[in-house]
Amino acid sequence: MAQIPQMSNAKERKHAKKMRNQPTNVTLSSGFVADRGVKHHNGGGKPFQAQKQEPHPGTSRQWQTRVNPHSLPDPDVSEQSSSKVMFRKKGGWKAGPEGTSQEIPKYITASTFAQARAAEIRAMLKAVTQKSSNSLVFQTLPRHMRRRAMSHNVKRLPRRLQEIAQKEAEKAVHQKKEHSKNKCHKARRCHMNRTLEFNRRQKKNIWLETHIWHAKRFHMVKKWGYCLGERPTVKSHRACYRAMTNRCLLQDLSYYCCLELKGKEEEILKALSGMCSIDTGLTFAAVHCLSGKRQGSLVLYRANKYPRETLGPVTFIWKSQRTPGDTSESRQLWIWLHPTLKQDILEEIKAVCQCVEPIKSVVCITDPLLTPSQEKSQTELPDEKIGKKRKRKDDRENAQPIKKIIGDGTRDPSLPYSWISPATGIIISDLTMEINRFRLIGPLSHSILIEAIKAASVHTVGEDTEETPHHWWIETCKDPDSVSLHYRQEAVFELLGGITSPAEVPTGTILGLTVGDPRINLPPKKSKALPNPEKCQDNEKVRQLLLEGVPVECTHSFIWNQDICKSVTENKISDQDLNRMRSELLVPGSQLILGPHESKIPILLIQQPGKVTGEDRLGWGSGWDVLLPKGWGMAFWIPFIYRGARVGGLKQSAVHSQYKRSPSVPGDFPDCPAGMLFAEEQAKNLLEKYKRRPPAKRPNYVKLGTLAPFFCPWEQLTQDWELRGQAHEEPSVASSPNDHPRKAEEVMNAGCQEPVGPESITDQEASENHVAATGSQLCVLRSRKLLKQLSAWCGPSSEDSRAARRAPCRAQQGLTREACLSILGHFPRALVWVSLSLLSRGSPEPHTMICIPAKEDFLQLCKDWRYCGPQESKHSDPFKNKILKQKEKKKREKRQKLGHTSSHGLAGEEPVAGQEALTLGLWSGPLPRVTLHCSRTLLGFVTQGDFSMAVGCGEALGFVSLTGLLDMLSSQPAAQRGLVLLRPPASLQYRFARIAIEV
Amino acid sequence: MAERLRKQASHWQRAEPTSVLHIEPEGAEAAMVRFKHRYLLCELVSDDPRCRLSLDDRVLSSLVRDTIARVHGTFGAAACSIGFAVRYLNAYTGIVLLRCRKEFYQLVWSALPFITYLENKGHRYPCFFNTLHVGGTIRTCQKFLIQYNRRQLLILLQNCTNEGEREAIQKSVTRSCLLEEEEESSEEAAEAME
Repeated sequence: MAQIPQMSNAKERKHAKKMRNQPTNVTLSSGFVADRGVKHHNGGGKPFQAQKQEPHPGTSRQWQTRVNPHSLPDPDVSEQSSSKVMFRKKGGWKAGPEGTSQEIPKYITASTFAQARAAEIRAMLKAVTQKSSNSLVFQTLPRHMRRRAMSHNVKRLPRRLQEIAQKEAEKAVHQKKEHSKNKCHKARRCHMNRTLEFNRRQKKNIWLETHIWHAKRFHMVKKWGYCLGERPTVKSHRACYRAMTNRCLLQDLSYYCCLELKGKEEEILKALSGMCSIDTGLTFAAVHCLSGKRQGSLVLYRANKYPRETLGPVTFIWKSQRTPGDTSESRQLWIWLHPTLKQDILEEIKAVCQCVEPIKSVVCITDPLLTPSQEKSQTELPDEKIGKKRKRKDDRENAQPIKKIIGDGTRDPSLPYSWISPATGIIISDLTMEINRFRLIGPLSHSILIEAIKAASVHTVGEDTEETPHHWWIETCKDPDSVSLHYRQEAVFELLGGITSPAEVPTGTILGLTVGDPRINLPPKKSKALPNPEKCQDNEKVRQLLLEGVPVECTHSFIWNQDICKSVTENKISDQDLNRMRSELLVPGSQLILGPHESKIPILLIQQPGKVTGEDRLGWGSGWDVLLPKGWGMAFWIPFIYRGARVGGLKQSAVHSQYKRSPSVPGDFPDCPAGMLFAEEQAKNLLEKYKRRPPAKRPNYVKLGTLAPFFCPWEQLTQDWELRGQAHEEPSVASSPNDHPRKAEEVMNAGCQEPVGPESITDQEASENHVAATGSQLCVLRSRKLLKQLSAWCGPSSEDSRAARRAPCRAQQGLTREACLSILGHFPRALVWVSLSLLSRGSPEPHTMICIPAKEDFLQLCKDWRYCGPQESKHSDPFKNKILKQKEKKKREKRQKLGHTSSHGLAGEEPVAGQEALTLGLWSGPLPRVTLHCSRTLLGFVTQGDFSMAVGCGEALGFVSLTGLLDMLSSQPAAQRGLVLLRPPASLQYRFARIAIEV
Repeated sequence: MAERLRKQASHWQRAEPTSVLHIEPEGAEAAMVRFKHRYLLCELVSDDPRCRLSLDDRVLSSLVRDTIARVHGTFGAAACSIGFAVRYLNAYTGIVLLRCRKEFYQLVWSALPFITYLENKGHRYPCFFNTLHVGGTIRTCQKFLIQYNRRQLLILLQNCTNEGEREAIQKSVTRSCLLEEEEESSEEAAEAME
């Protein structure tokens, strides 16, 4: 007790709390202690108070009993008086019996004796029953009596503790979040309720058919209105790469949108011709594609706006003609595109084809999946009410109509998705989520396809035909031509087994097939499909296939027919039924033979070219796309996986496109609206992430000389280069080509000091006509001719061995001033897609800057081939002082505010709010000239970059300014042509890389 | 593992014959998790009521210490002075709770019978201590005390002769037994006031 005053306040409080229920000493001689005890410790004090209130009946001595008859020594007067005083202080509980006499009693009264005992019992009881420490009740139990579930289920505790535990649980701050448990666990798991719940959950974002499978194994993201698997939860970056190169990687690309155009061939071609240009490669009218033999790919533009206003890349397939050469026949064209591009492209195509009238009739077909069930249940409710088991009955009624959402769950039924043009007769329909698209990448995709898919058995006439729902197949089998076509398709499909890699097949080959249910010959265990070369001995036929591709007629598939697709989707045997039938087999594990009841599914196989550009690793990442009617996704998905396919997500797609050195959608299309939106979102996310770190723990990009670490200022870059180009146009014409670069530099420096000087203005006027012709918008150079030329110029040492190999290229045109000017005249603000591979070390990351090396860098590199690269000197941070000042100001104002009234503070607040945007470490306000901000001139930015496992060094893909590239190439010596410097946003080190343009 | 060891150790300690004074150097066991104590629950028995009334924790502790020093010498006094404290005393019932370190509780225990006088302010009251219980925690001592007091009350009830007395005792007995509910309510009110 004596120690308490010395303890710190907090400690004392803690101690007091701990001792709250402990009984304290009950003494008479030391009134101080007792008093304090009463004050501080209720437990000790209480009994006496309670006793005090109790009326003492024993004022008379008649109850006194000699319990302990003892002789009494002479009482000391002083002692007695002192004790008496103490009694009074205590509140005189003893005053009742003692009040009559001033002397110490001779006898002990039984009632006081009992009262004292009772008081003590109470005090002790309280101390024992109430827990003193701040531990939970659960923890007071001995270990052997503790059970795991006790902590959250009070009823598992011994009953004596349940009440206290209940109180504790209510007090607990971190209570479990409210789980909407209108149904018990068992009810929630029941199939019907689960389906309902799943249907509800996919109202907002579209689920793919493989969603549940993915959700169990992937990190899911909500993107583009879909729920997509981003990357597997297992650590599998390298494994997925290996699957791509050596085995097979499977991806669900069903989120890709399909637009269908139906109409006369020439009408469609005429309408679409404005949207693409022959400059960028083959168009919709390419012979192979038009016949339906191959898949084509191109970049769409707004009608007649080439080369500006890009809409995005698409792939397309034409339905093959039944009778070639018949131009009057209605043709079908499928355009496959990324969901981010869909809105723009659909609008544009609608505008081009003059399709304005929505078709209502088609809408109704997909609807009845959900609505009738609800109506039915509502109408039947009233008469069911009488029965006791109303709920059960109702359920049974409902059980039939509630169906899984197949296809697009978010689609508003009132919105049309099919349009017709009265003038041209073209029908455009949006087939999003109507067709599944799986992509198999890698050399083993053949073997997987062949093992997983078996061509449908042809229906013979003798079999009974009544009850099978597959009428369309029976009808087809009656036609001998169709049967022979089916056999030919099967034969071609079998031939694929003899081909080692899908890259050997001609690019974009299409093969139609009708296959049986792949679930029937599902292997009992997961296995790896391996190629079986002995099986395919027919080398002659294989060679023919490789040379000529699949014959045109074999590309026919019933998947083009909507009605057949619908019937196939609806007549799918459910997994449950199939498993039941399997369990009823006489010999367990034997092959299930359904005969005519087996579903026949029309599918389409499309070869996907891998890496088609450049020189190395040609054909890497090639594979097959499988198109299936909706509803059959999981039925094919599992068999593919059981044959040894590894599944990748969005991240694996990004890796695939990066190693293929192809631009990814939509990130690498900075000139199309979707690409800009993507860049904005990315910048926002990165900025948010950056701001989450404390200033000392994040790079100061101002000091590092990085103007735009989170986005690529393409507009600024191209504008700057355009200005520079114009600035040195005039003097360079007069001077000889040898000293032109240096002079140009000088002029440029002068120009940058006075950006609105008189010369530049006149220059701008001079080139006004160019700009007017091409527009001031930036564009990406996609003209194949120009790209080929650039690619030839980019190569180093033009007179060496390479020249001999690329003889045709070199014959085109030399890198002359005139050639450059002619290109620049057409594309004043153009970007070029380039690939960069680092010479030695370093792995680039997105937003890395591509810079032009200076002369001394080349000298250093010549001296020491292991020279890493120059270093950027640190920049000063002009914003730091501003931020500090702002902070101080804020503080001052806060203080003022505290001091003065709030009305005074309001006036001072406004300027602060205006400058709020400053963030330490980021450039604020409009960017200065981006090209000249650092010691090396900026050429472009990297959009994808990483260490490439395919090449074994750092590789990057990005865009550079066309003007800058030509300027650099013309100024560099031939031996080191095409060398650039890369600098990541958070580093000062430049590293050498070789630039290449792959066409 | 440590848990089991400790249990075993304490088990052995209890199994020791109490007559032998086994003295261990301090710290052998203190090194485990906590200092282990022994609590001696004693009752002051005296003819003179004033003796009980003059009971005070300072008086009591000095008395016990002196006795130990007299009985066990300087070593015993020193050994027992570590961790020695009077945890509770009730002047009305004469109950005393003494605390000492587990290693040396036998020294205290054996010294207690040698107390024959309680001296306060120049007055000596003849008395002696009756050890009721030796426990490892305050809690067990409290539990024992409840039991003991109840027994006492029952004995008192059985022995009492006249009606009014019986009634009073019964009242206090019942009050001591069903204290919890009323206690709680009054307790909460007090807490709210604070």
